[in-house]
Amino acid sequence: MDRNQLEEYKLLVDGQLPWPQTKNLMSSYKDRDRFFKILAIYQDKVQWQEKILLPIGENLFIVQKGKEYIVKCTCGYEFGDYRQNWKLQAVMVVRKTREDLERIYPHSDVCDPSWMEIREFICPDCGTLLEVEACSPGYPITFDFCPDLEGFYKEWLKVPLRSE
Amino acid sequence: MTKTDTMVNLRKRLEESESLLAMTGCYDGITNLECREQDPLKFETIHMKLRASCVSAREIARRISASPGVREVGEMVAALYTPEGDAIAISNGIMVHVHTMSRFIKWMIKNDYQDDPGINPGDIFANNDAFIGTVQVPDVMDVVPIYHEGTLVGWAGAVCHELEAGGITPGGDVALAQERFGEGLFICAEKIGLNDKIRRDYIIRCERNLRMPIYWILDEQAKVAACFNMRDRVLELIDEIGIDFYQKISKEFIEEGRRTQLARVRQLTIPGKYRANTFYGHVTKGKPGFQPLGDPDWLYSIPLQMDIQLDGKIVLDFEGAQPWGYHSMNCTPAGMDGGMFVTLTQHMNFEGLVNDGAWLATQLKLPEGTWTNPDSEFCATATSWALLLPAYGAFQRMLSRGFLARGFLEEVFVGQVNSPMIEMGGISQYGKPFGIAHFECAAAGSGALAIKDGLDTAYVGWNPESDMGNIEIWELDMPMVYLGRSILPNSGGAGKYRGGNAFMSTWVINKSPEVRIVTSEHSSRVFDNAGMCGGYPAPTCQMHRVVRNSNISQRADARKPLVHSTGLDQNELTMNLEGDHQIIEGPHITAPMKAGDIFTHSYNGGGGYGDPLERDPILVLDDIIQGQSSRVHGENIHGVRFKGSIEDATLEIDLPGTMAARKQLKDERLQKAIPVSDWFENERGKVIEGSFAPEVVKMYRAAMNLSDSFSDEFRTFWQLSDSFAFSEPKQGEDKHG
Repeated sequence: MDRNQLEEYKLLVDGQLPWPQTKNLMSSYKDRDRFFKILAIYQDKVQWQEKILLPIGENLFIVQKGKEYIVKCTCGYEFGDYRQNWKLQAVMVVRKTREDLERIYPHSDVCDPSWMEIREFICPDCGTLLEVEACSPGYPITFDFCPDLEGFYKEWLKVPLRSE
Repeated sequence: MTKTDTMVNLRKRLEESESLLAMTGCYDGITNLECREQDPLKFETIHMKLRASCVSAREIARRISASPGVREVGEMVAALYTPEGDAIAISNGIMVHVHTMSRFIKWMIKNDYQDDPGINPGDIFANNDAFIGTVQVPDVMDVVPIYHEGTLVGWAGAVCHELEAGGITPGGDVALAQERFGEGLFICAEKIGLNDKIRRDYIIRCERNLRMPIYWILDEQAKVAACFNMRDRVLELIDEIGIDFYQKISKEFIEEGRRTQLARVRQLTIPGKYRANTFYGHVTKGKPGFQPLGDPDWLYSIPLQMDIQLDGKIVLDFEGAQPWGYHSMNCTPAGMDGGMFVTLTQHMNFEGLVNDGAWLATQLKLPEGTWTNPDSEFCATATSWALLLPAYGAFQRMLSRGFLARGFLEEVFVGQVNSPMIEMGGISQYGKPFGIAHFECAAAGSGALAIKDGLDTAYVGWNPESDMGNIEIWELDMPMVYLGRSILPNSGGAGKYRGGNAFMSTWVINKSPEVRIVTSEHSSRVFDNAGMCGGYPAPTCQMHRVVRNSNISQRADARKPLVHSTGLDQNELTMNLEGDHQIIEGPHITAPMKAGDIFTHSYNGGGGYGDPLERDPILVLDDIIQGQSSRVHGENIHGVRFKGSIEDATLEIDLPGTMAARKQLKDERLQKAIPVSDWFENERGKVIEGSFAPEVVKMYRAAMNLSDSFSDEFRTFWQLSDSFAFSEPKQGEDKHG
């Protein structure tokens, strides 16, 4: 990869890329191999060895672990098979009282807790807030994204998914 | 290829085109882009000429219009179509209407307008019926056929969003309409002009059925001028390149648009199944004017599933949506198309090639009987954006999950939000009847990005060219004087990158004995937006703070400071003004106001992205200094600790304190958090007992009654029996009770 481009993408991932360059990136034609470039940057940043196959969140990745494809947090915590909703393996805080809601919405009108609650899905290891749901009490937990991992690698990237 | 002339049966031609698409998978059976292959440069040049003709026609029209919505905010779009009604090129502006006008033209063709009332050179047709093809009553569209030597070679069309529609309440988005019959003046695929002239009887109908006909009528003149201008440009182009080549290349543009859309999806996203949901809560109990047809207060869940197929097709499914209701927030399939298209123009089709090709490369699944596809054409759609905006905000988050996964972080966007609108009418400052929709709402806060904060007061989903308009222009058109337009602190959702903040406006009613102010598209009981990847939703829609019979005039006479907003603690009005103070949960439907009364209205911010504890403390400090957020917000949510104070300009970050506080907040999270399995056991009991608010139970019951797959998923998730259902409402609990 072009060294300057690598540095540019590292800054992009860290949210440090200056706006004029970011704007150029938005307006330019998209590079066809961006996926692999960004994957390499993520791989370099994490402390664990498993191969990243797909980022699915700010701190979540699908990785290859042996013959399994699992969801892993930046910190290394493992949530299990990517075809299952990782949220079910997280820990959660539910804000369902006006007091709890007003703590994160100071000076603002907030929802009616009998109509809606805030669910915070947290990594059990590092305590990072991974996803927030705002939904009515009793609403099933949403499985945000189940990628067609095999199809993506085989049909779109045209490279093998599994590495030995 | 088939040449369409006055002798060709348009309906058969349309059916043939649809059949060719079904057979070949390509638009109108065009399997090879011969024009592009022969001369790619010419191909692009001609497309740019057509697009430029749309853009310039729109600009011409904006200068004819009298409406500040069109002149200031740009609530208009212009487009060119094939004889069968497929969009070839479109201007900037409210690009919602790529396919809504297409539906309108096709509707006329399918209803044999060629025979009666006839489609002739110089005809002008208009429509604002969403079941024929638009989003809502104020979106009035005009189309004119383009003839070349007796051959119909296409259509030119334009849409303006009208600021007054003559409905049960003043303005365009008629919030109180509960059926079609209160929404205002309907023009149902009507021939409103002949020989390039709008009919006088149509103008008279507008004059006698609208509160402020000058907007509508001059917008008609503006749209027709835009259509004629585009028509002239097309005919000039045909003279230059020949009719056969024009007809061939204009259809290739559409097929290319289809292929581009598929390719763009394959380039930017990941195939798979994406899920999201959002909610909307409506409150009208006890408000005057409400007809007892449906529940006054209700809650809608809006679940979405997006499947990205390996060929690049996006299938967006609204299975599990709520039934349509006796309110103005229903939407027709045309409106659903519109919402999807204006969203795609911002993420996929940003290079100018926006046409019906993209529509062919996407699919909407809209369950019949839901608010997305009502099975009664009596239902109202006047404020359909109230549900469209949250729905397509969720669509943006799903798309963004794909961008994130593919490495295009600069494209990740937490999404659009609702934009509560103000409509008003009564007696103007000039002593005459008036009505208007206030379109400063076209500048809400945007959702955050994955790499930076969202836009403050500079974005709405329905018009990518957001503009709030100048205060002075709005003051010319309504009997209200601004006391202030202010950033609404903390109104963006918190996150590593926060959502864009919204603003609030404060007015004093001026020189009018009667102003009826009606607001719409509020979701005050629930968050109708969301965050992403650990970001929080923006706050709910804020309440109106109002002072009737205020002493503002006396304060002005005494040269005392005026009040410019409700202030951070929402107490500026109560502390500084005498009068009857009211807090009104939206929608604002109440008795008319008069000169000297104070009215405030807040818009919405966008959702946040990422864990708020990962936000750069410098950004938190900067927000406080700029008035974008409060100190307590920075402390509670971002865990930043400060030294000094904002008042004496000594505020700075206590970095060691911040690091310690953030660690403590994370520890507290983990101490407080419970395994999802524990939560599940407790919640499951509540589901079985149905121990939720009546509106929540009703929401689940309605979704389960309409959708077997929603029922199956709900039961499977909560490990319930196949026969589980929420009990029917007790007497007195439902709408007529």
